[in-house]
Amino acid sequence: MSTNERNPVGVGRIAGSLTLAVLLEQMSWSGWALALRPDFVLVALLFWALYQPLRVGFGVAFALGLIADFQDGVAFGQYATAYVIGVYLVQFLRLRLLQFDPLRQAAQVFPILLAVQVVVLLVGWLSINPPGGLEILLVVPSSVALWFLVAGFLRLWHGKSLRDTA
Amino acid sequence: MAAAGQFMFVRRLGPAARLIIWIVLGLACVVLDTRYHALEGLRSGLSVLLQPVRETTRAPGEVASELGGFFTRHRTLQKERDALLAEQRRLRAALDTAADVARENVELRAMLQLDGLPGQKAVAASLLYQGHDWFAQRITLDRGARAGLREGLPVVDGAGLVGQVMRVYPGTSEVMLVSNSEQLTPVYVERTGQRGLAAGSGQGRMELRYMPTHTDVRPGDRLLTSGIDRIYPSGIPVARVLRVTRPQAGPYLRIECAPLAGIDRARSVLVMTSVTGDDAR
Repeated sequence: MSTNERNPVGVGRIAGSLTLAVLLEQMSWSGWALALRPDFVLVALLFWALYQPLRVGFGVAFALGLIADFQDGVAFGQYATAYVIGVYLVQFLRLRLLQFDPLRQAAQVFPILLAVQVVVLLVGWLSINPPGGLEILLVVPSSVALWFLVAGFLRLWHGKSLRDTA
Repeated sequence: MAAAGQFMFVRRLGPAARLIIWIVLGLACVVLDTRYHALEGLRSGLSVLLQPVRETTRAPGEVASELGGFFTRHRTLQKERDALLAEQRRLRAALDTAADVARENVELRAMLQLDGLPGQKAVAASLLYQGHDWFAQRITLDRGARAGLREGLPVVDGAGLVGQVMRVYPGTSEVMLVSNSEQLTPVYVERTGQRGLAAGSGQGRMELRYMPTHTDVRPGDRLLTSGIDRIYPSGIPVARVLRVTRPQAGPYLRIECAPLAGIDRARSVLVMTSVTGDDAR
């Protein structure tokens, strides 16, 4: 792959920058500064996920997300899920992102950051208005059974056996 | 080509599979937390770990505001002093009347053999952290269980009701603001005495719910806590009515209100620890 993976940056530098990001977010921001405050942790996380994918992956994202969940006093898992998805998107687009200069990279990171916020919103909705019961998932096994019955019946209808003999 | 000592085909889960595992884990956390409140231990652990960090990172902001206060213009100070003196004269006049009324009240209560009004004890706390979230109608205060806070206590500032303590940690606590859509506040309209239920509507606004269309509510009316829930003492200002509209469908008025407390700017607040004596929560 690229040279970055073969010459990993020290763990100290990665941990240090992520800690700094968490500290920055701990400051008591308010007013417009709060509204405009970037998500330092997410930016640092995605940066390292881009340049050090072997060191910073889903596990780190999940842990940092739990801290963010605590900070905002929301349900645990809200930011954790969103950060994990952000890291996945960066990994998915990694080769593409690495080809661009910082300006274009930033433009391409925009939809990723937007997607992360949308996931935070969706999971937040789930936590505020949790669905009634998990019985709704029972439709999955019953549909699977129906699939088996229909497909099997059609094969028998056409004179084949239920199992592939070949 | 694969290098020596490497498999051509990596024997590990693909990224999509790992993503799904982590998402399931995250959603399991959400369910465990919201449905079964199983992660409170993790939450208080994090609060103990992060509280000193928050206290420390608050220092630069405090230094900046101290410096800003030092350089306040002389003219501003004079103006403020004049206003304060005027208010003091006014308050002193009101105080005499209040003392008289209080004395009379004590006598009347003694005659009726009622308990005296429990003294309202309050703990001063200041804002430690404000969330940055889609549903962020919450703030974190720098006082917690050690200062005698409990869940459910009302939080006020100089202008009115800020919210209610929702989670208490040893040294910090989380407050759900009145503008949170999960937060219901029993109120009455000051002008008419009509009781109602105010709920947050997000974006720092509130709405007065379930008022029949013939109710007399006008823009500018103040809403005070009614105290019937035994959580808030009665008479704390909550909000001012901004707009009243009559929807075509539905039997209720749509009443938009703005909270009176500076819920997005208050830096220091009071938590009322003793509200209605023994029967508070």
